[in-house]
Amino acid sequence: MLACEPLIGWRIIADPSALDTAAWPAGSTVVRISPDDVYVIGVAEPTVSDPHAIVTPEHGFNGATLTAAQVADIAMRHIEWQLPSSRPALAQGQIAGVPSKLVLHADGSALLLVATAAHHELVARIGALA
Amino acid sequence: MSRLLYDGQPIEFADGDTVALAAIRNGQHPARGGTLCLAGDCGNCIATVDGTSWIRTCQTPARPGAIVGRHPDGTNPSMLGPDTMTAIEVRRHALDVVVVGGGSSGTAAAAEQRAAGHHVTVFDAGEGNEVVGTFAGPSLIVRTATGIDHVHAHHIVLATGQAELHPVCAGNMLRGIFTARAAAAVANAGIDLGVTVTVGADVLRFVGDGNVTAVVLQGGTRHECDAVIVDAGGAPRDLLARMAPNVPITIVGTAAAAHDLPPAPTAGVVCPCSKVSVEDLEGVWDKGFQELELVKRASLCGTGTCQGSVCGPHLQAWVGSRKGERPLPFTGRPAARQLTMGEAAAGYHIDTFRRTPLHEEHIALGAQLDKFGGWFRPWTYGDPVAEYWAVREGVSIGDVSTLGKMMVSGPDVVEALERIYPNHVHDIKVGRSRYVINLSERGHVLDDGMILREDDTRFVLSFTSGGASTAEMWVRDWIETWGLKVHILDRTVSHGAINVTGPLAGKLLQRLGVAEDAIPKFLQHRHLDVAGVPCHVMRLSFTGESSFELHHQIDRSRELWQALMHEGRSMGIRPHGLQALFGLRLEKGHVIVGQDTEMDSTPRRINMDWAVKLDKPRFIGRDALIRTASLPDERRLFGFTMDGPAPLEGSVIRVNGEVTGHVSSSWDSPMFGHAVLLGWQKHLPHADLVDIDGREARVSPTPFYDREGARARM
Repeated sequence: MLACEPLIGWRIIADPSALDTAAWPAGSTVVRISPDDVYVIGVAEPTVSDPHAIVTPEHGFNGATLTAAQVADIAMRHIEWQLPSSRPALAQGQIAGVPSKLVLHADGSALLLVATAAHHELVARIGALA
Repeated sequence: MSRLLYDGQPIEFADGDTVALAAIRNGQHPARGGTLCLAGDCGNCIATVDGTSWIRTCQTPARPGAIVGRHPDGTNPSMLGPDTMTAIEVRRHALDVVVVGGGSSGTAAAAEQRAAGHHVTVFDAGEGNEVVGTFAGPSLIVRTATGIDHVHAHHIVLATGQAELHPVCAGNMLRGIFTARAAAAVANAGIDLGVTVTVGADVLRFVGDGNVTAVVLQGGTRHECDAVIVDAGGAPRDLLARMAPNVPITIVGTAAAAHDLPPAPTAGVVCPCSKVSVEDLEGVWDKGFQELELVKRASLCGTGTCQGSVCGPHLQAWVGSRKGERPLPFTGRPAARQLTMGEAAAGYHIDTFRRTPLHEEHIALGAQLDKFGGWFRPWTYGDPVAEYWAVREGVSIGDVSTLGKMMVSGPDVVEALERIYPNHVHDIKVGRSRYVINLSERGHVLDDGMILREDDTRFVLSFTSGGASTAEMWVRDWIETWGLKVHILDRTVSHGAINVTGPLAGKLLQRLGVAEDAIPKFLQHRHLDVAGVPCHVMRLSFTGESSFELHHQIDRSRELWQALMHEGRSMGIRPHGLQALFGLRLEKGHVIVGQDTEMDSTPRRINMDWAVKLDKPRFIGRDALIRTASLPDERRLFGFTMDGPAPLEGSVIRVNGEVTGHVSSSWDSPMFGHAVLLGWQKHLPHADLVDIDGREARVSPTPFYDREGARARM
């Protein structure tokens, strides 16, 4: 079964320009969900220059690291939409009917993100991976 | 020779036999009668194989021990499949060129495409890859022995050839009639059909009693025989192309060849799948269904398992003879082949039902979980009345993690919220909160919740569990439309929330480390540690009692819940589920949006004008409310009381025998010993006494309980 573990991180909603120029904590994984929305996976609290930014702990995601073969297997069996052809990239949509995100790395591997509240459904529906 | 069970009797079959050939080899018809094509085109060999019905036995290899049963005569088989079923796998492929059909024209087309530099994939039903549908995309649905393939192709080539025409005349459902290709297959299998006669399209009728014994041609010539071979030409297998008329599909070979229609039938069964005769067609025609598509719908000709492969050309000919022109074939629709329910549902998922971070706690406490608003939620922990009294007299906790939770921040946030909400926002002080409703542009109540002010430019918003899924889109759409500078973060699934409620709720928080003077007053909120867990503590009340919602990060939910349960044990704490909660709030007269409201409920109709400030210059729905304010409005939500038992929610409310509304919420109040209700009266004059379930109910002001609201402030 897919090992999809709870993640500790931060969510930052801020002006896109502030996010573009932010220096993120060393060792963190940064997922740019949208122009004004960043998910930083890591313990250290990030800072941004926007005084109205929302910076808050984000413990609402589970994640799993996938090999390139596992990404291909999931894409073939559980994704009805076209993954982006370029890498790195962020893909967002339903996987096996569960809203999810795929952080696609340059080497073909990926980080699968799913809301903790729904991760049990995703794990059950995906089942065993290649 | 191996054996299988056929209608309960063992029969022998040879290597390479299909189930249909095995039946023929043993002197049986694979179904109950009709011409056999043995090419997968018709539905005349369909039977139940190993528990699955609607199987084309001519395409199904015979297997030792297989259990085959003919479908019941005159009715359909059970839709239930075998007792043991496994999920059907779906695989998705993006391909370049797909050729459907592996015959001579398909092979040639594939070679041509490869020579042009394309990557070509061939799907051939004979090889176990049966294309059952085409869609815009272009996409193909392919049934295989190991699952269903969803194929996205740049180009599709159909090389599906022709289906042989079946004879339509009197006696055409007898046993012993074969198309030419079927007869060849039977001969190749070494099966002797006895005395055979080969005829063309000029058959007048078949003669026999169950089995064919003779055939009579149009000129009157009669041939005695054991079997008849009909060689009457063909019609293209173009159903897959007709399913997707705007998809780039190229048809090649005999599937693309021009063809003549057979003579219009005058007798016999036109559609063997749906058992539609020429007489049936005449009947619907005489009723006015005089277009091919209408004749199809009214008679069901062409709606059976072969999807018009047999009857289509005959139906075209029959309608053409009536109208004087050749009609187009009817529209093709997936699936081209009978699918099992498992195959049809493969790859389809029902909506996700989320679990709160306290899911395991609820299960451990024996909660009866139910699905509400996309979440699994506790309905009761076994004794809803005890849960009720714990709230009213002691202390109880409830999982409200499903509430919509949003943070908004920015220089324009007050202006944005003033426009979104019909209540005032600017005068909410830091650390205070206010109940609010959300209106549509038409002034109809969409949702309700709370606004909590964190600082001058930052607020926390809450929404109902049912409204949470659309709240972010709704807020974001408006703010972006107005071009206001506000940041928005939906924290519904990131934050858990536990409602600590009851007269002892504050005491319980003190036991868990909250100083007495730090406990928020009614409608205040503070950030406090409770049992060491950082919480945003919101003092409000849905139950009518002193209540504190503890919002926190979901990874601390179980720890917080367990601390509350442990420390509250000596206070008689017990958790409450939705059943008790719905009753508690009903005694307070609180509406549940979506249950007590309708799609077009205005604040006036639900007696919540007080939550609307028309003196504000603008807010969503204001114009509509002002436009309609002076109009008479019959509909109104009322509180009712009546002797128990409480009627079912949805019960009809009558006045003088006339239906005037319905009950939207209903509860046998343990506090009052009678039922309390919310319900609609939709006709004037509104009555003080109404009839519900043949019993008298009396209009009663709400709240039913604690009208002064003192208990929430204790």
